[in-house]
Amino acid sequence: MFRLLTQRAAARELDDLMNSNTQTMSHSSAPNAAVDPVVEVKDVWKIFGKRADEALAAIKQDNLSKSDVLEQYEAVVGVRDVTFDVYQSEVFCIMGLSGSGKSTLVRHINRLIEPTAGTIKISGQDVGSLNRKQLRELRADRIGMVFQNMALLPHRTVRDNIAFALELRNVDSFTRSQLADKVIDTVSLQGYGDRMPSELSGGMQQRVGLARALAADPEILLMDEPFSALDPLIRRGLQDEFLELSKVMGKTTLFITHDLDEAIRMGSRIAIMKDGVIVQIGTPEEIVTQPADEYVADFVQGISRLKLVFAHTVMLQPDAFVHQGGSLSGSEYWPSSSSEADLDTLIGQAVGCDTPTAITDDGKLVGVVTKDVLLRGIQGES
Amino acid sequence: MSTVIESGKNGNDSRLADMAAATREAEASGAAGRELSKAFGDFAEERREYYAGTFLNIQRNKLSALNLNLAAVMGSFVWAALRGNWLLFWVAFAFDMMAAANLGLVYRYHQAKLAAELTEKDYLVVRFTEWTASHLMAAVVIFVIGRLIVGWLANRVYYKQYSAWRVNSSTNWGFKTRRLILAGLILALIAPLTLYRSTQDAPTPRDCVKLARAMQDGDSVTAKQRFDCAVLSEVPTLMWFDRPDQYSYPRNDDGTRRVVVKEVKSTRPVNLNVWLSEMIDQKIDYAKAFYGYIFDSITAVLRSLLNAIEAVFVATPWPVTAGVILLVAYYFAGPKVAVFTLGSLVYLGLFGFWQTAMSTVSIVIASTIICVVVGLPLGVWVGKSRIGSAIVTPVLDIMQTIPSFVYLLPAVAFFSIGKPPGILATVIFAMPPMVRLTALGIKHVPESTKEAALAFGASPRQLLMRVELPLATPSIMAGVNQVVMMSLSMAVVAALIGAGGLGFIVVDALGQSEIGRGLLAGIAIALIAMAIDRIVQRANRVEE
Repeated sequence: MFRLLTQRAAARELDDLMNSNTQTMSHSSAPNAAVDPVVEVKDVWKIFGKRADEALAAIKQDNLSKSDVLEQYEAVVGVRDVTFDVYQSEVFCIMGLSGSGKSTLVRHINRLIEPTAGTIKISGQDVGSLNRKQLRELRADRIGMVFQNMALLPHRTVRDNIAFALELRNVDSFTRSQLADKVIDTVSLQGYGDRMPSELSGGMQQRVGLARALAADPEILLMDEPFSALDPLIRRGLQDEFLELSKVMGKTTLFITHDLDEAIRMGSRIAIMKDGVIVQIGTPEEIVTQPADEYVADFVQGISRLKLVFAHTVMLQPDAFVHQGGSLSGSEYWPSSSSEADLDTLIGQAVGCDTPTAITDDGKLVGVVTKDVLLRGIQGES
Repeated sequence: MSTVIESGKNGNDSRLADMAAATREAEASGAAGRELSKAFGDFAEERREYYAGTFLNIQRNKLSALNLNLAAVMGSFVWAALRGNWLLFWVAFAFDMMAAANLGLVYRYHQAKLAAELTEKDYLVVRFTEWTASHLMAAVVIFVIGRLIVGWLANRVYYKQYSAWRVNSSTNWGFKTRRLILAGLILALIAPLTLYRSTQDAPTPRDCVKLARAMQDGDSVTAKQRFDCAVLSEVPTLMWFDRPDQYSYPRNDDGTRRVVVKEVKSTRPVNLNVWLSEMIDQKIDYAKAFYGYIFDSITAVLRSLLNAIEAVFVATPWPVTAGVILLVAYYFAGPKVAVFTLGSLVYLGLFGFWQTAMSTVSIVIASTIICVVVGLPLGVWVGKSRIGSAIVTPVLDIMQTIPSFVYLLPAVAFFSIGKPPGILATVIFAMPPMVRLTALGIKHVPESTKEAALAFGASPRQLLMRVELPLATPSIMAGVNQVVMMSLSMAVVAALIGAGGLGFIVVDALGQSEIGRGLLAGIAIALIAMAIDRIVQRANRVEE
């Protein structure tokens, strides 16, 4: 599996990868169900405690709650019957408060934690069936991980930290530093290769963490609250940079966060976790416009909908508009927009204009957005 | 703007101060004060008014520095017992017992004086008269000062007890006569024997052994003698054993050994101590006779290691050794330490300690090498494995509580005397910090760093070699430093079992009361210790 055979071949391959991925599917597009998922998580349970198996059986039989399990079996339910798929080049966010089991869940993907029940497949291969050597190869070659507290090795230079995964795979020193320097360019750390991590600021250190995860050119990135420990300005900068990188490199990414704003910014899809259960999986728009329950609704309440809600969600059908007493006459002179326009764009068009906005598709009128509709759309009650 | 804020704050402050003053007044005269007084009174039960007033004074910091509780002065430990304050009870009781014991001594020396007068030994009469007077004085002083201290402490300690009672209602409170029963029991247990002991000349253990022999032989002894031996001297011997048979292990003609048992003719039984010591000696002799090759091979290994090191330090001409040592000090620890090292070396040369000192240093280096080679893996095991920690930690705890002297015993038992057993004792003594600090370093590697290494596919071996050991290095180096220093101190003590070196000069000088020679050698040891310590420590710091 390990592809870095010679230094030249390796460099060429890295170039190829970067070029080819420039044209990959756009960041926010919804997954195509026909494509095989890269990561499949199916019916995964994780229960901590000596009597985990008993507890699992009891939960399945009697549907015990988290506190019941703790009381009766001295076991803590970390992850409760979780199933989801992640597709090629997708940024899949897992959002939840602390203790919701999101970090536990993501550590199942590279088997840092063994599931109590359930299977995890990567490109169709069952992770649980790997022997130790195969598992180490999987971790070194195919999965990169970024940690909230960076977890860099303080006694090594930035370059040696970045090349750590390669070193573990016995890649020779020359190839290592070549590849590391490439990744150092990628995360804009030029000139810092020979510094020690302690000389770098928090944001810089996390760039090193990201570079380390990218160095072996893995297919999958696991990011465990990578930006949570940083201050807001730096966090925002790194988020933007990561989004850019993600578009270019097209890595399948599992992104953990406790911040819904971040999840919405970063995620092509978001899974919301509570007490080890995934409450809802959907695109940012789905999460905001159709929260699955009270808990999610509470969460999305304060989120600005301007960039998340699109014309096709709020617009009135032309018939309904007429039915409400509107007139379509002169609609060709109205400002017009596509059905993919977000509320922010629609507001821009509606300001200083007495008429409603026409939503057209190929020049054909498909919907009408009045100011009432816009206001309701912003408010979130359609 | 700022002035407005300032004045507002001042306004607040003065209002707060007013409120505090008002509260204080209310406490003194008003409802709050009455409630407190009632709580104080409820706690005290008897003499409510007195304690309510005293406690209020304590709370207001108005208690006079000389305030004495007269009841406590008079009642002493009886007062403390009635009030349920057992801490003060023991303090008061100790003072009174000390005074009483001194009175007992007055009686004893007065009797002795009378006896001396009968035998007309004037110098004894003078001595005992002096002793009688001084103990009488002591009795009075201790009694008076003790009572005053107890009386001074009483209210203050009693207020602490009140505070504890407020938090935890099961704390002793009130004035209970039933507590006198316990106080009486304590008194009955302690006072009579203690006072009796102070009036009597205690028999020596030797007297008591004679007494025991007399009893075994059926001679008559008085009840008082038996009582004195049983109670005032050593704890009486309850178990008597037949002296164990004597074993010897002479060689046969073909070089093997045989066991010869010789029955002991002695009729007198022995106590547990003698019996067990002889049994242990027998077992050790047996092990040495039949498994001697194990000890011999260990000795051989130690000796060849030491020979190799001594070849470098002792056999190399001194200018070469000194030059290399100075270079090492300069390179690793800088010019200041090099100058200090030079001074130490000059001292060693000037006073003719060079060869001896190098022999000591050889032992230190040999033990340090063994400690690191054995201690490092052991420390890693302790740091990483719960079983390892459970097995090794208690052993280390015991090893560190045992005085260095005692380590000489097993070394001598199995390896007789000389340098190899000296190294062995030194290794045992100096090993614990190596193991402990290595384990500490390994344990303190952050869990998240280890997780990251695993997430990038590290094998357990790679985790240890590339993450855990490098991160533990400062701690491990501190361990090495400790090992060197402890080896040096033990190498000196090991001179007692023939390890030679500077320690031997000190031991020899002590034996012959040649203080000057011992002192010079002692200073040499101190200089070596300081030089090594500085070199190792600086070397660590430079590395970091």
